[in-house]
Parts: sequence; structure tokens; C-alpha cells
Amino acid sequence: MPIRILSEEVASQIAAGEVVERPASVVKELMENALDAGASQVVIRIEKAGRRLVEVADDGVGIPREEIRLAVQRHATSKLETADDLFHIRTLGFRGEALASIGSVSRLTLTSRSAKDKSGMRLIMEGGQIKTVEETGAPAGTVVRVEDLFYNVPARLKFLKRDLTERQQIDALVTRYAVAYPERRFQLYHDGQVTLQTAGSGDRREVLATLYGIELARQMLEITLEDGDMRINGFISPVSLTRSNRREMTFFINGRWVQDVMLSSSVLQGYHTLLMVGRYPFTVLFISLPPEEVDVNVHPAKAEVRFRQPDRVFGAVQRAVRRGLLAYSAPPPITTTVWRGSPRQSAAVPPMIDPAWEMAAETKTAQREVSTVPSVTQPNLPSGQVPLLRLLGQIGATYLVAEGPDGLYLIDQHAAHERVLFEKLLSQSRGDVPTQILLEPVVFQLPPHGAQLLTEQLPLLTRLGFDVEPFGMNTFRVRALPALLTKSDPVAAVRAVVEDFEEDETPLQAEQEARLIARVCKRAAVKAGQALTPEEQSALLRDLEACQSPRTCPHGRPTMIHLSVDLLERQFGRRGSR
Amino acid sequence: MKVSVSQQQLAHGLSMVSRAVSPRSTLPVLANVLVATDDGRLRLSATNLEMGITCWIGAQITEQGAITVPARTFSDLVNQLPNELVHLDLNASTHTLNVRCGMSNTDIKGIDAQEFPPMPVAAPQEGVPLNVANFKEMIQQVAFAASTDEARPILQGVLMTAADSEVTLAATDGFRISVRKAALSEPLPVPIQAVIPARALQELARIAADGEQVMTMSVPSGRGQVIFHMKDAELSSLLIEGNFPDYKAIIPRSFKTSTTMTTAAFLKACRQAEIIARDGNYVVRLNILPGETEPGKVEITAQSEETGFSENSVEAAIDGPGLVIAFNVRFLREVLEVIKTPSVVLQTNANNTPGMIKPAGDENYIHLIMPMHLG
Repeated sequence: MPIRILSEEVASQIAAGEVVERPASVVKELMENALDAGASQVVIRIEKAGRRLVEVADDGVGIPREEIRLAVQRHATSKLETADDLFHIRTLGFRGEALASIGSVSRLTLTSRSAKDKSGMRLIMEGGQIKTVEETGAPAGTVVRVEDLFYNVPARLKFLKRDLTERQQIDALVTRYAVAYPERRFQLYHDGQVTLQTAGSGDRREVLATLYGIELARQMLEITLEDGDMRINGFISPVSLTRSNRREMTFFINGRWVQDVMLSSSVLQGYHTLLMVGRYPFTVLFISLPPEEVDVNVHPAKAEVRFRQPDRVFGAVQRAVRRGLLAYSAPPPITTTVWRGSPRQSAAVPPMIDPAWEMAAETKTAQREVSTVPSVTQPNLPSGQVPLLRLLGQIGATYLVAEGPDGLYLIDQHAAHERVLFEKLLSQSRGDVPTQILLEPVVFQLPPHGAQLLTEQLPLLTRLGFDVEPFGMNTFRVRALPALLTKSDPVAAVRAVVEDFEEDETPLQAEQEARLIARVCKRAAVKAGQALTPEEQSALLRDLEACQSPRTCPHGRPTMIHLSVDLLERQFGRRGSR
Repeated sequence: MKVSVSQQQLAHGLSMVSRAVSPRSTLPVLANVLVATDDGRLRLSATNLEMGITCWIGAQITEQGAITVPARTFSDLVNQLPNELVHLDLNASTHTLNVRCGMSNTDIKGIDAQEFPPMPVAAPQEGVPLNVANFKEMIQQVAFAASTDEARPILQGVLMTAADSEVTLAATDGFRISVRKAALSEPLPVPIQAVIPARALQELARIAADGEQVMTMSVPSGRGQVIFHMKDAELSSLLIEGNFPDYKAIIPRSFKTSTTMTTAAFLKACRQAEIIARDGNYVVRLNILPGETEPGKVEITAQSEETGFSENSVEAAIDGPGLVIAFNVRFLREVLEVIKTPSVVLQTNANNTPGMIKPAGDENYIHLIMPMHLG
């Protein structure tokens, strides 16, 4: 094939690919334009997760009538004049690419009236070609309608995730900007229904309460730190409030949402040793720096930034978080000033595990290699099953100690209970599930994308024996629980369904069901540190013996460690030293 | 300190306070019991920082003093001593308590009494007399319904409201509610409302004597504590903060069916059903069958895939339409075990609304249980 210059149309579609990747990127570009235009209200309407329609309406300055054609030209912007300006960017946008890019891959209608004009203009563009420009009556501000996104780029259409995922992306984006700009009013409609709405009162905690629930907003700790020309403020979660993924660590730099691994790890450093492994805080931090200290022109979608003095920024973030945590670290709830004496310290003893302590799941092969003493009988067990165990006791309120015919077993009570609940719930979900009705239904709130997810899972929850129903915008009501789970907090069990959801998780239906059950069980199972009565301990052992695969919890962690008789003999030097 | 006390009284006192000892605490002194002279009597105290118990026993004091000694060691020893006078002699410089009784002579190493957390003291004017016949029974009828789930602390408590001449205890775990009222022999000067940990009340029931008991209760303002003071003992506990559910709104005002049964027969049937039901999520079905000509009956059935099937019938006087309703049998058994009247009334409306159990002819106690539902 000979080399040739690409046609204008193809070139602009390629460029569009960098900026417009999915419906959420359209929302981002248009929303940032609206914010740059000084809008006090941003109304976003989405249909079919953005495939059918993305519309962003604002009441900002609008586009002067004579400039409307220019607005959709590539590299046309009012936000930048010289290359020098690139280093003092105070607006969210600056490339002048957004409208042109979006216009080249959709049917775009731009309606705008600037405050000083009497009438507005409407411009219609299809696949990058301006079709009509006409005068029209319009309220001051700008409305951009993006219909049939990617209608002319079927390849990209194919790469869109399922609607739920695309919706989540949009929800997560708008939620974050709503928090970042508490003084602006945001409204988000999906298929005609309001799913997010903020009052624009300027109170950030109020916005958090609207979007994430009052309980969370009440607990969040507010932090501020000033270091010369840098300012950090925002909210961080107390150590008692954690998430199982990093996604709820949000950063805004000079009003722009960025995702930066280094910033997240600075926050985690601030929480160092205070969080359990695998738990992440919920934070929203706003960093403001002089524009020349940060280069936002690194990534087409501006999701990444570069700092002139990265260490200074990361250090400040870490300090701010640490200081905030320490300042707010309340005494444990149960102690009062009248009692003298120090509160319980969690004695953090590093685990000392001899490598010879094998995981129970691996011992079978190991045992066969070592020629066992004739007196020790190794019962032939069906694969993976555990023998009958005799309970010896509980240690550290976390592990059960039991004796089997082939040695000593240490059992993690949480993991074991998880396994037991998991198998019981799973088998019940295929038949009649006894449920226990609550005295009083419990009402709780979820963030929009969580609510969406839970709504999707309601049929499965019903089959498991939950009775959960929608109860207004992003709010649900729990009326009954599976009888198995009556010892746990109903709301926590239901929340677990959406909390640990991983992005783009699209397993098969059966697998998804198992994962969901696993999540619920994790929440409902007895915790480490919970003292169990001897009856409860032996009941747990009995239940574990009855399990199909008792040696691991539903997440794959081992439930038990097995110290074989053989190993004990060698360790005590009764038989050939190691 | 030089003190002589009777072995029996000392052993009894130690068994009383030992329930507040926290042997696994990181603060070693909490595994100890405080032994101190106090105004002509010997005082024993133990605390786990949430709950504290003190008791006083008569003693012959020749020298004042105080020491803490390991609770387990001391009470095991005292239990083995002969039923004679026990002589306690403290060597203050080595913190060693010499225990002499009959032919036995033991030295126990202790920890300085200064390190023992101060026990909360109620100002005398703050106490209100709580003269209730059978306060102990009240606690036993209510406290078991509290939750044991640490995630919901407020439900681990018992709501106590006292105003004018009536005191009410209420507890719920989200599935059942127990409410018991009693008249006070004298009206209260100020109303009281507090959420007391169920565990503390259960200990109180254990150390309180049966029958009429003179007890003063203090809720010192702003300290989040409650102190129950009896003649020879005192129990203090932290209160639970938070809003207790508005249980009154949940209790139905009327019921369609009223089923009266012999308490013992119903309890026995439940116990038998539980043997089968415990492997099937504790579900039992009550089939309430009003009789046309002959007396009515309630059929109690339990089924478990692994264990089997059981059915029991209890004769009943039934007023209202019949109904099949499922309950957690453990909930039924636990309430029937604390009902002392010969007959018990079960009131129901539908299979998805709460059933109420109360002693026949006694309006002071009600127990509400949410039914189960078979999907």
C-alpha cells in the first residue's frame, strides 16, 4: 500500500479516540466545559448508559453567536492563547479538542446563548460535518446533546462494556465532581430518572451525605494542610471505616480529578499500620498548587499529571493524612475518663511461623514422602475432607485448636465459619430458604453506582432469603434475612454485596452467584477476636467437618493449618533430627 | 493490713466479684481482685473497665491496708481452706499477702493497690431507691432477648425507663422484643432512662438475692455509668450510648387469634422440636387448629433434610381463626423458660406479622417474636 496522507475525517476519528473513549469521557469533557463556563447548575441526562444520549446543560457564560462555528473546530478554544499559557492553566480544559472530537464520532447538537446576546444559536454536526447552523431561542448557557455516540465507529462501539459498567463509570465521575464542586448544583438523570442530585449549598459534608449517606458523612474527618503555596484539604475516613478496594481514594488537583498511583500510596503511607491488610480508606482530597507547579498536559484525558516537585506533594499528602488521623483518633468507645488505666492495646506480635508448619491443604503429598511410623494410622479420606476433630480450645479468640487422628489442627474461626455459611447458603439457594423477618425493616442508603448494582442483584438476594426492596432514590429497605445469618447485622450483610464489587467483573451467572454469596458470608461470619463459647466452638468444628471443601474459605485462604504427628515427633527430636 | 474473716464469707465474696475479673487483659492488675479494709469491713473489688463488682464482708480488722492479688489463685486457695477463720496479713514492702487458716499458711504475691483502677462511686444524694419485688426475675425475663452482635452495640443493652411508680425493662435483638414492667413501691423523684449492657444486668441478677431486695440505682449525670448499690454489694457498669429502637411502635395493638396453652406442655413440645430443628435453621411450624366441638390444639412440627421430622401436639384454648406460622424454636423456648405462670397465651394475626407471647393473667410481661418465612 502506498503511503498517503489520511483524510480529514479519518484523522479526526483517530484523534477522537484519545479523548473520547467511552460515554463517561464525553460526560467528563462536557461537564468540565460547563464548569469552566462558570455554570452554577449542571444537568446531565443519560439514556441507555450514554449510547443513545449524553446531554449536558449548564447556565454558564454561553458561546457568543459569532463564535459558534469556531467552537466545534479542532484546536479551537477560548482558554488558551500562547504555548506559555500551558504552564499557567487555571481552567479544566485547554486543548480545544473536546467538541471537535465528540462531534466527529456522534450526532452533536450544540445550543448556546451568551448572556449578552438576545437570541441563541443551534449547531448540528454529524460525524464531524456541520449540517446546520441556525438562530434559535434558548436560555443563557449551553446545552450539548450527543446522540448515537460512535454510530460511525462500529469498532469502538463493540469495545464498550455492558451498560451497567458504563453507567457506573458515569456515576463515579459525576459523584466525584459533585463532591469537588459543592457550590454547584449537579443533577444526573439516567433514562429520565434522577439518580444523583446535589443542592449546591457549598457545604461539602452535605454533598457527601447526599451521595454516600449520612452515616458515612458524619464519620468522615476533615483535614487541611497549608505548605507555602500548596494547600491540601478534604475528607478522610477514620480507621474504622474502610473499603476493600482503592477506588474510593479520590484526588483533585486544582479542581481536576486525577488518578495517580503515587498519590494513593502517599495516602496509604499516612494510614500506615492503622489499616488491616487488604482494606483501603475512603478519601477525597483536594490539592491546590500554583498552575506552574503541575503539568496537566501529559494525558489526552488529563487523568494523569506531573508535578514539578513530586516529593514535596507526596510528603505533604502523607503528613496531612497522618496528622488528621492522629488528631481525630478518638479513644475506644467503651472507655470513659472516670476509669483510669490504659485502654486495651492491640499487642502486635509479629507472626512467628516455622516454615515446617505446613498448610493443611498441602500436607497430603508431604506426608506421603516421609515414611511414617507404623503406629500412626493415616485414615484414607475423600479428597480434601477433614477427619473427625476433637476440640481442644480457642487461642487468641481467633483460632480453634483441635486434635485429629493424624495430628494437631489449628483452625481460623473466621475463615472456617465463612466456609460453613457459604456452603449452607449455596445449597439452600437451590431450594426453600427459611427467612427470618425483622421486627422493624432497616432502611439504608447507597451511592448511586452501588444502588444500581444492588438493584441488579435483588433477584439473587431474594433467592438467598433476603427480602430487600428499593425504598426511594438510592435507598433500600431490608425486611427479612436468611435464617442462617440472623446473628449478623442485616445492613452490613446486604452492603457486602455491592461493596467488594470489582470493576468490570462479568463472571458467568453461576460464578457471580457464588461470589456474591462469598461476599455476604465474609461479612456475616464470626470475626477474629470474637470469643466463642465451647458449644459454639464445637458446633463450628462439626459444621466444618460436614463441608465439601473444608480446607479453604470461599476466597481461597486456608481455614486450617495441620501439624502432623510426624512433624511433631521430628520437631521434638523424638525421631531423626531435621 | 491485718484482717480476720470467715472462710465461707470470703469464698462467697470472691465468687461474687470474680465475674468482673478480666484474666486476658493487657493490664495485669485487672486479673487481680482488690482486697482492702473499708470502714470496718473487708472490701473485695474486681473490674474489667466496663463492669465492676464490689462486695463487702464483715471482718475483724486489726490493721488497715489494701492490696491486689491474682483473682484465680486467691479464690482457688480460699475454696480449699477449712471452714474456719482466715487471717490475712499484708507485707506492704514486698506486696505479699500472707493467708493463714487452720494448719495452712500461704504467701501470695500481689500488685500494689494503687494500680487498681478506682471504682466509680455514687454520690449518696444521686441514688434513687429501686424497690421492686423480684427485680432479678425482671432481668431474667428481659436480658436474654438482647443481641450478642458486637456490630450493633445498642442492641446489646437493655433499655431501662423508670418514671413515677413504674419501671420498665426492654431488650431486642432485631427479631424479638421482651418488655417487662413492674410497680415501684415508692415513686421516683426524677425519671430515669438508660441503656444498660445486658451482660451487666445478668451479673446483677446473679449477685442479687431472690425476692424483695433493697437496691439503689444511680446514674450520675454526664458520666455514662450506672451504679446499683445493695446492702453488701455494688455493681457498676458503663452505659451504652445511642438511640434504642422505639419498640412501642412495633407492638401490634390487636390480635385476631389468641391461643392459650399450658406453659410446661408447650415448652416441652418446643424442646423436642428443637432437637430436629437445630439442623434446619431452627424453624418450627405451629399449626393452630381451633376445634369445632372438641378442644383446639396446636401442632408443632420440625423438619430437617439431614435429621428427620418431628411432630407434637399441645392442647389449646383457641379464640379466633386458625393459622400456620413458623418461628425460630430457640426464641420460643427461651421465652417459655422464663414464664412462671402455669398457662401462656400466644397471640397472632398472620404468618408474616409478629406473634406475642405473654403469661396468662399477667399484663406486666410481653414478648414479641417475628415469624420466619419459608421461601
